[in-house]
Amino acid sequence: MSAISTQGLGKRYGSKWALRDCTIEVPEGSVTALVGPNGAGKTTLLQLAVGLTRPSAGDVTVLGLSPRDPALLARVGFVGQEHPLHRGFTVAETLKLGRKLNPGWDDALAHERVQRLDLPLDRTVGRLSGGQRAQVALTVAVAKRPELLLLDEPVASLDPLARREFLNSLMEAVSETGLTVILSSHIVAELERVCDHLVILAEARAELAGPIDEIVAGHRLLTGPRTEATAVARMHDVIRERHTERQTTLLVRANGHVYDADWELHEVDLEEIVLAYLGYGASRPLAEAVAR
Amino acid sequence: MIEFHLETRSGVPTYLQIVQQVRQAVRLGVLRPGDQLPTVKDVVGTLTVNPNTVLKAYRDLDREGLVEGRRGVGTFVAEDVAPLPPGDVQDLRSGLEGWIARARGAGLDDDTMAALFMDTLRPPAIRSVA
Amino acid sequence: MIWVGWRQQRAEAAIVAAMLAGLAVVLLPTGLNVASAFDAGHLASCTGARPSQSCQQAVDQFLVRFNGLGGLIAWLTLLPGLVGTVLAAPLLVSLEQGTQRLDWTQSITRRRWLVTKLGLAAAAAVVAAGVLVLLVTWWRMPFVRLQGRMDNSVFDSEGTVVLGYTLFALGLCTLVGVLWRRAVPALMVGFAGYFAVRILFDTVVRQHLLSPLQATWRADGPAPASAQHAWVLRQFPSDRLGHLAPFDISCAHGPAIATNCPSKPVGGYMHAVYHPASHFWPLQGIETAIFGGVGLAMLAFAAWWVHERVS
Repeated sequence: MSAISTQGLGKRYGSKWALRDCTIEVPEGSVTALVGPNGAGKTTLLQLAVGLTRPSAGDVTVLGLSPRDPALLARVGFVGQEHPLHRGFTVAETLKLGRKLNPGWDDALAHERVQRLDLPLDRTVGRLSGGQRAQVALTVAVAKRPELLLLDEPVASLDPLARREFLNSLMEAVSETGLTVILSSHIVAELERVCDHLVILAEARAELAGPIDEIVAGHRLLTGPRTEATAVARMHDVIRERHTERQTTLLVRANGHVYDADWELHEVDLEEIVLAYLGYGASRPLAEAVAR
Repeated sequence: MIEFHLETRSGVPTYLQIVQQVRQAVRLGVLRPGDQLPTVKDVVGTLTVNPNTVLKAYRDLDREGLVEGRRGVGTFVAEDVAPLPPGDVQDLRSGLEGWIARARGAGLDDDTMAALFMDTLRPPAIRSVA
Repeated sequence: MIWVGWRQQRAEAAIVAAMLAGLAVVLLPTGLNVASAFDAGHLASCTGARPSQSCQQAVDQFLVRFNGLGGLIAWLTLLPGLVGTVLAAPLLVSLEQGTQRLDWTQSITRRRWLVTKLGLAAAAAVVAAGVLVLLVTWWRMPFVRLQGRMDNSVFDSEGTVVLGYTLFALGLCTLVGVLWRRAVPALMVGFAGYFAVRILFDTVVRQHLLSPLQATWRADGPAPASAQHAWVLRQFPSDRLGHLAPFDISCAHGPAIATNCPSKPVGGYMHAVYHPASHFWPLQGIETAIFGGVGLAMLAFAAWWVHERVS
């Protein structure tokens, strides 16, 4: 079953489309990376999925239900951008909020996590470090025992150590409770070890979606003497072409086996594939600068 | 107990690196029959990887017959795997040392040696045709 | 959710409690002072329609003594507005900081969140208004017995209107803040709006809520009984039928200035348009219904807006 399934999903603010024509499936049990530059529609997609906002076009089903279905409230967890928390509450009071507002709350799990992560129960949230706040927000979302967890840029404002600790914490939660996770990020680097699925959003559209190992296996880098891409483009999807005076480099999504005597073939890592879809490094003019 | 490490830039998928490290450890006698592999949770805690990845690696190893999962207890090296005899390992090691000496004498630096070795090892389909 | 809603407005409730406590600290000693002066002067017997000479003197003495305080107390009419503004803050701050994204992604519905938070704010407003009215009414009792409570600056801190004002301020600040989404400026604008509406209502609208009474009486005789402690809107010398007697301003200083001034005032009667003391509760009721009703309507609209339009 799909954890999330969208069909032509779109959201408009005034005359501007924040998300458009989005048709993707996120399988249950996966850890999916939602990548794209700022303004690509990642936050909008997550907010539509969790029911914070309503679609302008198309539809979205979560665990088979409509996002605003009350039956779904206890089954989906969400950590918004900048980890919204009540700054004046202590950590203990924040957990109490979770307990009061969630019938399925696992208080033992919440306190065990807080203790393991050395989060001071009596300190107010406003006086915690960024990394600690992120961990508190994650604890509240996880102790609710959801089946699906959506995280909007959870590590964007964290230093590398805090980032690693957060992702570690998240992976432990996945191994303990078997949740489906979708996390959005504009940093691609660490996602490959943590995620097994990928959705790329650029300029309000979904450019690519699928399992990461299939994506990596299905893309190749072709290098060769300077030439036009037309011959290759007849057989495969050319995602990005780059020309220097004497050399041409093509990144292609292979339709079947790539076998061409004129080209040198290389495997491509995930980050390079994502950047290519986002338009980085092409010789053609770019529509929009990409945040790395 | 073995501890895994991950090379993120190697181009080798994570689960395969785990499989390879277990295979090597068993072949070289670092892991002996009956030894317990780290639990999924432990590996996740050390490497910050997707638990499904670890599960996939352990499943592959189980299918190979190298390890066996005991429900509720953990994953253990199979009783009937035989590591390479230490003598064989030593022979192979000396052979390599000899080759390295010859390559150095021919003027190859370490990186070129490694490239030559990997190039010879890799499947021909992705080798350059020039 | 009740604990969560309460905890989110704990600070503001404490501020309101502190304001009321501060008020009590000021009012209690002075009020006891006023009450004991009232008793010491036996002024209880001077509250009738035709006080004796000695009563007049005693009353005048009493009023002069506490005149300043009475004037200050009139400013208390801003307090319901302040209370309503402060109690509107928790919701607005919540929306500005985006913490509703935390609350709404737990397991409760938006509706329950809104009903609880706004319900608690309104309940706090009711309690605070009650305390305020009790305090001020008690303090002012001696003056009310001497002068009635229909005067503009007295009317609006007695009775049920205080509750109406508080709910109005709460509703107005909440609505402005929910539409504008910036808490502090919205609260300031809301309070300013409350102030403006109150002034307008006090000076222009209130008198028209009910038809006032009219009476004409001989200028050298007693005023009608219903005019005692009334709120007089207009009063002028008149003829027997109550029409305004012509009054030449140049005659104000006596015939020495102008030659055609009459030797005694024309008319000989006084006419007054007034709301008698018996209009107190009807006027209170209407004004409370207006302010309270509009306040609650604004709260309801703000709730709908947040339910439908906020993400």
